[in-house]
Amino acid sequence: MSWYENAQAPWIYVSRRLITARLVSLWITMGVLILVGTAAAVLGSLFWLLLLPAAAVIAGLWGTFLVFRQVTAHAWAEGDEDLMVKRGRMFRSVTVVPYGRMQFVDVKAGPLDRALGIATVQLHTASPGTDASIAGVPADEAARLRDRLTTRGEARLSGL
Amino acid sequence: MTEHVYSAPRDWTRVHPVSPLLGGWAFFGLLAAYLIHQRLPDWVDGGDETFAFFDRFPLLGLIVAAFLGFLVAISVSVWQWRRTTYRIGDDAVYLRQGIVTQQQRQARLDRLQAVDVVQPLLARIFGFAALNIQVAGGDKSGVELKFLRLGDAEALRNEILALAAGARDTRDDAAPGQAPGDAPGVATGAAPASAPRLRDLGAHLSERADALSRPDDILHGTERVRTAVAATEERPVYSVPPGRLFGSILLSGATFTLLTMLLIGGIATLFFNVDVLGGLVAAVGTSLVAGVTAIAGLLGIFWTRFNGGFNFAAGISADGLRLRHGLTETRRQTVPPGRVAAIRLHQPLLWRAKDWWRVTINVAGYGNSNESVSVLHPVATRDEALRAVWLVLPDLGDPDPAGTLGRAMSGVGEEGGFLTSPDAARRLDPFQWRFRGVRATDRALLIRRGRWERELFVVPHERTQSLGLTQGPLRRSLGLANVEVHSTQGPVKPVAAHLALEDARVLLDAQAERAREGRRHQTPEQWMRAVGLHG
Repeated sequence: MSWYENAQAPWIYVSRRLITARLVSLWITMGVLILVGTAAAVLGSLFWLLLLPAAAVIAGLWGTFLVFRQVTAHAWAEGDEDLMVKRGRMFRSVTVVPYGRMQFVDVKAGPLDRALGIATVQLHTASPGTDASIAGVPADEAARLRDRLTTRGEARLSGL
Repeated sequence: MTEHVYSAPRDWTRVHPVSPLLGGWAFFGLLAAYLIHQRLPDWVDGGDETFAFFDRFPLLGLIVAAFLGFLVAISVSVWQWRRTTYRIGDDAVYLRQGIVTQQQRQARLDRLQAVDVVQPLLARIFGFAALNIQVAGGDKSGVELKFLRLGDAEALRNEILALAAGARDTRDDAAPGQAPGDAPGVATGAAPASAPRLRDLGAHLSERADALSRPDDILHGTERVRTAVAATEERPVYSVPPGRLFGSILLSGATFTLLTMLLIGGIATLFFNVDVLGGLVAAVGTSLVAGVTAIAGLLGIFWTRFNGGFNFAAGISADGLRLRHGLTETRRQTVPPGRVAAIRLHQPLLWRAKDWWRVTINVAGYGNSNESVSVLHPVATRDEALRAVWLVLPDLGDPDPAGTLGRAMSGVGEEGGFLTSPDAARRLDPFQWRFRGVRATDRALLIRRGRWERELFVVPHERTQSLGLTQGPLRRSLGLANVEVHSTQGPVKPVAAHLALEDARVLLDAQAERAREGRRHQTPEQWMRAVGLHG
């Protein structure tokens, strides 16, 4: 289901490995909270402190739910003239970026992303409002996407 | 009397030798003096006999500290001046500066967004000016030359604008074989080939004394100086009378806040016998700094508006839009055609009776940093507001531009072809849902909002950076969505809120198509070439 159907090009959904990446970083944070909270509660015999790990577990489960929903809604489409990026389910947005407006493209991948073979591709325009980053693009595809975007951007380059 | 002859600095050149004296030395000198004085008592009053001398003359310590402070500040400035050189080439303006790390920066002329001639008070009295060359490319990417003789600054500005417009320099004094981009650091230690010399200063000062005998021109910023490269002819479009500016400030929200506070204080004193004045004095008394800061902050709002908008005048020339304003610090801005990315017309509640509008613009080089440079008109009548929009968009792409803009500024509902929020928006936005409206002309998108205070965004299609369609859970339940038009960095952030989802989708697609079409026909960066004036 898509709330915005573009006529130009099919949506390409991001890799499911992004779910793993986001879950790992989410549960590392939550794990630390759970461990610290439990240890403090047990060692200090302050059992109300157990609320902290309990809250962390609930937040973690909610976060897990959100990660699944968000990642499966995150997609991009390469039209003839514009790149489209779709994200979110509850707070959803579609950004349409003309290739000619592209100033530069970033490809970023942290250690976890590299281990999973994914990367974030971000398109920058002269506007700070343009939110055109695509997370969870398979690494080889990210490089190709960057090259394609650069080529198209140069072909259609216009001033500001 | 030696005649100062201006020549475009094609070689590395220093800014004027008096620059260190015109800079922020007074401020930093005072700061340094204050710091030194604060440190003094540790060893002065420490019972050390050597310094007992200072105890007898408490002011002497301060004077010595001030002297040291100014000495340090000026030496640093002079050192900075020695390390700052600039030159212009056909494609860019180059600047080298920095004491510890030498930095070379080039402002590419095909990315030029605006050129400002800025004169702080001191520089203005003595006939100097700083030249700010703004290019697209994020914050701090521009080049600032301070200070040059006013005439030189204007000549340089005119020449830069001519070069950027695509009119190549045809004078034969541009030395042949000039390497366009010296490698940074090669000539670091070498003396610049040419530099304004201190001995020209006498001539400059006598000229200046002449100008100072006509203080009116300086006060009104209409001073004429000899420039080697004449400015393109300018046609005045509007100016703001000081009375209206003053009135607009009196009718601002800050005044309203101040009066409300006074009223609350008065009521508390009269009816509830609260000793407000006593409390206030006590509060201020405990911290003088806090009291002064609070007052300065409040007055600062008024002052910034007044100082920035004083003698505001706008004109149009072949080089583009020209703005001139400022009470203590005057600023003459030139924004070449096609550099304004978005316009916002705003009418605060208290301005409604007068039908005044404040017009702000986005220009890529100006960024977010300073609001005073992004004002196209501080307080416009309706007619002037229309003219301000015309300055940026001479062709609105509409058969009846005045009528359409009029309805965009204060219209209701769908009259005039505006796309409005659906009934469902009433629950989210009970007051102004019928006042929201979006309409596209052939050249620009108009976004209107506001029942009591009004706001209108005008975004030329070819300046649209990207578009966004957003929807949160609340709007989703009502079948609404927002369309965002992403403009370059600046105070104008256009959003068409609370549209029916289907309308928003159609608008997004149509707007993407219009932006595409607009880009195809947009003014080239070298605007003179566009009309074939220079080949």
